[in-house]
Amino acid sequence: MNSQIAERPMEILLVDDNPGDVRLTAEALRDGEVENRLHTAKDGMEAMAFLRRKGRYIDAPRPDLILLDLNMPRMNGRQVLAEIKEDSTLKHIPVVILTGSREMDDIVKTYDLHANCYVTKPIDFEQFIMMMKSITDFWLSIVKLPSEEN
Amino acid sequence: MKQMSKTSELIAKPEVMAGEIKQSRELFRILFHRSPIGTYIIQNGHFRLVNRQLAYILGYEEDELIGRPSLGFVLAEDRDAVRENAVRMLEGGCSLGYEFRIVTKQAKIKWVMETVAPVHYQRKRATLGSLIDVTERKQVEERLKQITGEMQRSNTELEQFAYVISHDLQEPLRMVSSYTQLLAKRYGNKLDSDADEFIAYAVDGAKRMQTLLHGLLDYSRVGTRGKPFSLVNCEHIVEQAMANLKIAIEESGASVSYDVLPTVMGDEGQLVQLFQNLIGNAIKFRREEPLQVHIWAGRRNSVVTFSVNDNGIGINPQHSQSIFEIFRRLHTREEYPGTGMGLAICKKIVERHGGHISVQSQPGQGSTFHFSVDMAGGESE
Repeated sequence: MNSQIAERPMEILLVDDNPGDVRLTAEALRDGEVENRLHTAKDGMEAMAFLRRKGRYIDAPRPDLILLDLNMPRMNGRQVLAEIKEDSTLKHIPVVILTGSREMDDIVKTYDLHANCYVTKPIDFEQFIMMMKSITDFWLSIVKLPSEEN
Repeated sequence: MKQMSKTSELIAKPEVMAGEIKQSRELFRILFHRSPIGTYIIQNGHFRLVNRQLAYILGYEEDELIGRPSLGFVLAEDRDAVRENAVRMLEGGCSLGYEFRIVTKQAKIKWVMETVAPVHYQRKRATLGSLIDVTERKQVEERLKQITGEMQRSNTELEQFAYVISHDLQEPLRMVSSYTQLLAKRYGNKLDSDADEFIAYAVDGAKRMQTLLHGLLDYSRVGTRGKPFSLVNCEHIVEQAMANLKIAIEESGASVSYDVLPTVMGDEGQLVQLFQNLIGNAIKFRREEPLQVHIWAGRRNSVVTFSVNDNGIGINPQHSQSIFEIFRRLHTREEYPGTGMGLAICKKIVERHGGHISVQSQPGQGSTFHFSVDMAGGESE
């Protein structure tokens, strides 16, 4: 379907301050079918530096998908989302809000900021694996997105 | 002659007049000087006549007050309001007294209530005033206001606390549960059967705790995340609750019926949840025979009472109070799953709507839950 798949692994940027969650996501992605490379940023500042290839991220790839937690120190997920969606060079990258919050407020606010979708981390690990598989399948092989070169 | 004699009667004799003058002086002395209410006449903003009680309230001698501007005794911040209220009252705009603070000769601040009326005194326009000391009442009121405020604050804090606790505990719990599952997944068959069993209990415990936290979160949301009240049609509410329970109703073969139901002031989402919990309970605690649920309502003044009747297993009357407490369960999880939050949430929703909830039941003879919604009470303001 998507010609990108055969050529290179998908670049995924995970923005989350909890190492437990980062490892869990890594484990879930390892079981997935989409070949991928997981990059992590532990807060919004790091995420923006990665996306704008600042400092030690000078050679960072452009992610195909961003998994964004909401509650983080320094710069939270909402601020990162707002910056990405206001930046014409970044706004086409799909941003999936991946959080523990089920608050309607958080859901509404992030969609207002043009989040591509909002999912709540399930407590059950099997369900979490299933969910990560659905997310990567959908965003990395099913949907058609404008590529950077175009 | 007859008329003459009548006229002569009207012309009082000097001794009678002297008696009457004496009498009215006495009456004036009693009514004015001995009055327990501060009484005074103000002309052009100055005291012209004051009684003993006013002097007592202000802490002065009576003659010290005569000729002094009356507003001078009012606490500076309250002067504008006093002037405004007095004008309004003199123009007939209000009849209730108004309250303000005065400063006594001893520099003490007192709360007083004043009423004024327009009069003529010595052929000139004047204001007749009466004033009572309400300091003590005011202090009690202030204290009451303070206590009410403190209670509201602590209530809100408690709700926030329950909310934050149940919300924030989910994160670490997810770590415990996910990593035990990951352990089981990766090492499940590499360890012995004891290890598998231990892991299974840990996973099960974490899942149960999450269910409890969700229940607690839902419970605290009734208070913290409620919507403003609006007019809601209760037949629509019941239909909505039934639609949400569609699968459970179909699978259990239950028949749910209702009489004509009124429109009430309330939080639509919460009322749906209320009926859904009650009908859901009826389905859960049904007997072998086909379940029948019937709903009806009655109205007395502003209070609408709803009744939800079923032919289920019923409840021992000794539990008719405790079933509305949080985490209260009458059965083991094996018999009936659940967190014991459903009826506690119902109670909280009903109370937010200014009503009460109760149950009438005998084991084996079905249950009838009654709850009221007060159209005049609740949180609607």
